[in-house]
Order: sequence, then structure tokens, then C-alpha cells
Amino acid sequence: MKKALLLMFCVVFFSSILVGCVSSESAGSSSESTNSGEKSSDKIKIAVVPKLVGIPYFNASEVGAKRAGEELGVEVIYTGPTQGDAAQQVRVIEDLISQQVDVIAVAPNDSAALTPVLKKAKEAGIHVMDWDTPADPELVEISVSQIDNEAYGRHLAQILVEQMGTDSGDFAILTGGMSAANLNLWIDWAMKEVEENYPNLNLVTEKVPTNEKQQEAYQKTLDLLRAYPDLKGIMAFSTVAPLGAAQAIEERGLEGEVALVGTALPTDSLPFLENGSLDVATLWDPEKLGYLTVALAKELVEGKMPTDGQDVPGVGVIEVRGKTVIMGPPTDFTAENAAEYNF
Amino acid sequence: MKNLSKESILGLFLVGLFVFMSLFAPGFLASSNLKNMMFQLPEFSILALAMMVVILTAGIDLSLTFVASLSGVVIAIALSSGYSIPMALLAGLLVALACGLLNGVFVAKIGVSPILVTLGTMILFEGINLSITKGHSISGFPSAYNLIGNGYFFGLVPVSLVIMIVLIIVTTVLLNKTKWGRSVYMVGSNPIATLFSGINTSRALMWVYLFSSLMAFVASVIMTARYNSAKVDMGSAYLLQCVAAAVLGGTQIQGGYGKVIGTVYAVCIFQILSSGLNLLGVHRSIVDVMIGVILIAVLIINYVSSQLEKRKSIKEQAKSVA
Repeated sequence: MKKALLLMFCVVFFSSILVGCVSSESAGSSSESTNSGEKSSDKIKIAVVPKLVGIPYFNASEVGAKRAGEELGVEVIYTGPTQGDAAQQVRVIEDLISQQVDVIAVAPNDSAALTPVLKKAKEAGIHVMDWDTPADPELVEISVSQIDNEAYGRHLAQILVEQMGTDSGDFAILTGGMSAANLNLWIDWAMKEVEENYPNLNLVTEKVPTNEKQQEAYQKTLDLLRAYPDLKGIMAFSTVAPLGAAQAIEERGLEGEVALVGTALPTDSLPFLENGSLDVATLWDPEKLGYLTVALAKELVEGKMPTDGQDVPGVGVIEVRGKTVIMGPPTDFTAENAAEYNF
Repeated sequence: MKNLSKESILGLFLVGLFVFMSLFAPGFLASSNLKNMMFQLPEFSILALAMMVVILTAGIDLSLTFVASLSGVVIAIALSSGYSIPMALLAGLLVALACGLLNGVFVAKIGVSPILVTLGTMILFEGINLSITKGHSISGFPSAYNLIGNGYFFGLVPVSLVIMIVLIIVTTVLLNKTKWGRSVYMVGSNPIATLFSGINTSRALMWVYLFSSLMAFVASVIMTARYNSAKVDMGSAYLLQCVAAAVLGGTQIQGGYGKVIGTVYAVCIFQILSSGLNLLGVHRSIVDVMIGVILIAVLIINYVSSQLEKRKSIKEQAKSVA
């Protein structure tokens, strides 16, 4: 053991010497990267990075992004981590910098974690945008937002009250993950709406995390229904939480008593909307969001910035506030209209 | 081929893969890509080494990345509330060692199976982490700290890579040249015989879990410095990849055998595969598929070759008897 300790000591000693030699930035790294920044092909390359690949929401936005690529004549690379882990997402972006794309549009898992790598991308002469969830506002040139967060959060609280049929009573909140910035933002606005306009509503417990998993949302909702028998309403945030919650409500036969509203895709939620366990799902069209991201990225490379009230073909009129582009108001899906949508 | 060890074969495979990617993946040898790989390697390989040492004792540490993220969060909180870098690092180190101690006490002193203990502590650490951070990421470090993750020595070699190389050497020396290292292998291959041969197995195991948490701490310093933030799920994707890397590197999951260099080769193979396939424009999920296929293939090859050897030795024995 003495030897081991001695070794440890040596390591600490040498590393402390070496610390003195650390240089601030790589010598000549910036010049190198601009050299390698020569674009080999003439087609504009746009990289769209979702939080993770392989879930319905981001599959839908992939369809939109790819379609935009075909229609607008640009090459779209849609790639992201297979888990919603910020470290993996950084790797994906580093690899994209090596591929020398023209634009990187990212939906950050953790915006702070992306700041160093997005800086690197900028130094390499790549345009940086965010979509779906904001990244560091100092770094991005355009921030594509699906929705006005305040209006959306308040809207959810309003439809919950509408579906409960009363503005007093107990309610609970399910969320996809405690650290999802956009979900937290909506919940904050929804709570603000409740505080300001429905003071008799009572949140029974802190927001319940469901890990972006339907199974967990189902389990946690069963727990909630058991723990709070007077529960009158549930707001479920994330695209799978409403589905799990609906399963639980259906199983307990509480369709009439507990109102459930949430942020879900219409095709997924159709069966639950039809049997009444889920009352209203509200969301934007992720396919349109993917399309809009690519369309704006292309204009960015061409030197055009989006303007307020601009009519983007295939998307509609957009709202622009500073760097932030807002796609439009949310769409409510109910048992009557959900079948009309294909995402 | 016959005289080569498992690790050397893996090393040859690594060289082959590197040559293949250099020839076929556009821009693989470009400085930007090589730089990427140098920065991506350290955190993963340090965690993989930590995992390997635990696996050597026939254990597994499922709490590894959560120890890393917990100590990362503590460092981040200390730094962002204005403590100096050494103080913050010390706080993170203490937290990591406390986590390792907890694992060690349950595994070594009480004798609960490692997979159960670390499964429990994994959830525990994640829960503590969530209740501290409420799931938000913590950022705002002094720029000197970020140098650990993003800086260069002499403008050429990433600091984190140097740390990694030092740790590889240290781990090799610790495992091969010290009494503790010997006892790690012995505990892994036969704990009872080891105990009866007069070795304090529980102390050896204790140090194994402390060592792995120490490595987790170093990895977390590199990660927090590189990503400029700490968050509850930081690096969680590395957890099972570490097990995969250790196993691909020839470490026996039943314990008792495994070499540092094998794990290092395996980590490099994963890195080259993921960077190279990305440059070739292969979809992310296909990259995962490829890694899975390679892992299974290597396991089958290892199994078949060990079976063949066994059969051969049995035959030879039979001959010598006859």
C-alpha cells in the first residue's frame, strides 16, 4: 500500500508541475480550422441535431427536415444521440464539425453543456442555430421556437380548467424530465396562470418526473390516483406522459372524474382521446418544425434573416422577436379532429 | 496468430480499423477529426478503466457514472458559488470517495453482491443528485477550470489526454506491480482460496471501489470542464459502454483476468468506429448496431478459442496418460 501511496503522490506532484505548461487555447487551432473550412461540395449542407433519435416526435421532425431538404435542394443530415445525454450530443456535434457542414441546428439536451462545442463550430465558420429548445442565446444566429412558451403554458392551464368543468379542486402535474428546459418553462407558465386566474386550484404535489417513458407515467399516475382520491385533473408534459397517464385513468375507470390534458402527438393519443381517458392533447406539428428549421437554415447560409410576418411556404406566417422565430399557435387535438393528422 | 495474446489481436484489429477508416472515411485524418477523437477519448477510457478494475474482482459498478455526475455537480456548485478551483476539486473528490466507500462497505464488509449494491447506490446517487439540482444543469465556471477539458499542453496535446495517459500508466503499475494489484486478480478468480492464503480480501475489495470512485471523479472533472456544466444525467450513456469496452478488451466478466491495455484498445476501437462511421455518413443507430455486432463477434471468438484450447489440453493430457 505504501508503494501505491507513493505513486499517487508522484502523480500529484508531476501533474502539478505540468499544470504550469497548459496553454490557453490550441496553438494555431483557429487558423487550421478555417483552412479546413473550405467546402468541398457546392450543395448546402445542413445538419439538424435532435435531442435524441428514435422517438416519435423527433422522427416526425426528421420527416419534415428531409422533405425540406428535397424541396429546397439542400443536403440535410439528421443525426443525434441515441440517448438524451448531453455528453453524447456534444460528440455528435463535434463529428459534424469534422464533416464541415454549413449549418448546425441543434435541440439541446442541456444548453450549457453545448456552449463550448457550439463556440468551436462558430470558430470553424459554421452557422449555429437552435430549434425546439433554446441553446446559449449568445451563440445562435436564429432560434426556432415551435411555440410562444408563455402562451402555450397558459393555454394548458386553461384547457385543464375547461375540461375539469370547475376552477377549484386538486390537480397534479406529470413531466418528462426534471431537467428539460422547455417542459419546465411551460410548467412555470401554467402555474403562473393558475396562480393568477384560478386561485382555488390546488397542486397536490411537486411535478412528478416520468423519465420520458410511457410506462413510468402510467405507474406514477396510478400512484397519484391512489394517494389523492380527490384528484380532479392532471396536466401531463412530454409527448409520452399523457399516454401513460391515460392508460392509468382508463384502467381505474376514472374517465369521467379525472380530466387529463397534455402535450402529445395526435396519432399516438387517438385511442385515448376516443375512449375519453385523455381529454385534449395540444401540440404543434413537429414535421412543420423540422421543415421550418431547414428552410430558415438555408436562408441563413444565403445571408437572409427571417422577418416578422414572413410567409414561409409549407409552414405559414411566422413571428420573429429578435433572434427567436415562433412558428405559430398550438393545435388542440380532440376525439373529433385527431384522426385528421398524420404525425 | 497462435502466439499472440487476446490483447495483441485486438491491437492489430485496432490498427487495421484505423487504416481502413483513413482510406475510406473522408476527412478521417483531418486535424479537426483527430482533435475531436483526442478530446472524446479520455472521459470514456478513464471510466472504462474504473469499470475494468471492478470487473476484475468479479464485480460490476453500476453507480460509476452517477458517482461521476454527483461529484461533478458538487464541483459545479462549489465553483459557481465562488470557491477556488482546488477547494472545489477537493469537495468533489471527497464526495466521490464517500460514494466509493459506501459501495465498498456493502460489497467488502457486508458481502452483498456488487450488482445489487451498485444498482441501489446508482438510484440513491441519482436521487440525491436530482434533489440537489432539481434536474437543472449547473454552469458558470472560471475559464481556468475549462482548460482541463478544452486546453492543450504546449498547444498540441489535450490536457485531458495527458491525464488519461498518466492514469493508464498508473493503473497498469498498480495492477501489475503492487500487492494490491495481485490480490485484485486473485480475489476475482477465487475469493475463498485468496482469503485462506492470508490475504485480506475485504480490504482489497474496499480499495477497488475507492479506486473506481477516484477514477469516476477524474472523469467527472474532465467532463464538467469540457461541457462547461454539470447535470444529473451527465455521461450516463457511458455506463454500459464501459462494461462493453472492458469485455471487448478481454476482461473476463467472471473476474480474475483482464489487462489495462486491452481495455484501452477497446475504447479506441469504439472511438474510431463511431467517428469513422459518422464521417462515412452512417446513421447513429446503425453505429450502435455495429458496435453490438462486433462485441458479440469478439465474445464468440474468445469463447471458441478458449474451448479449442481446453480440448487440446485435454487431448494432450490423454496422450501423456496413455
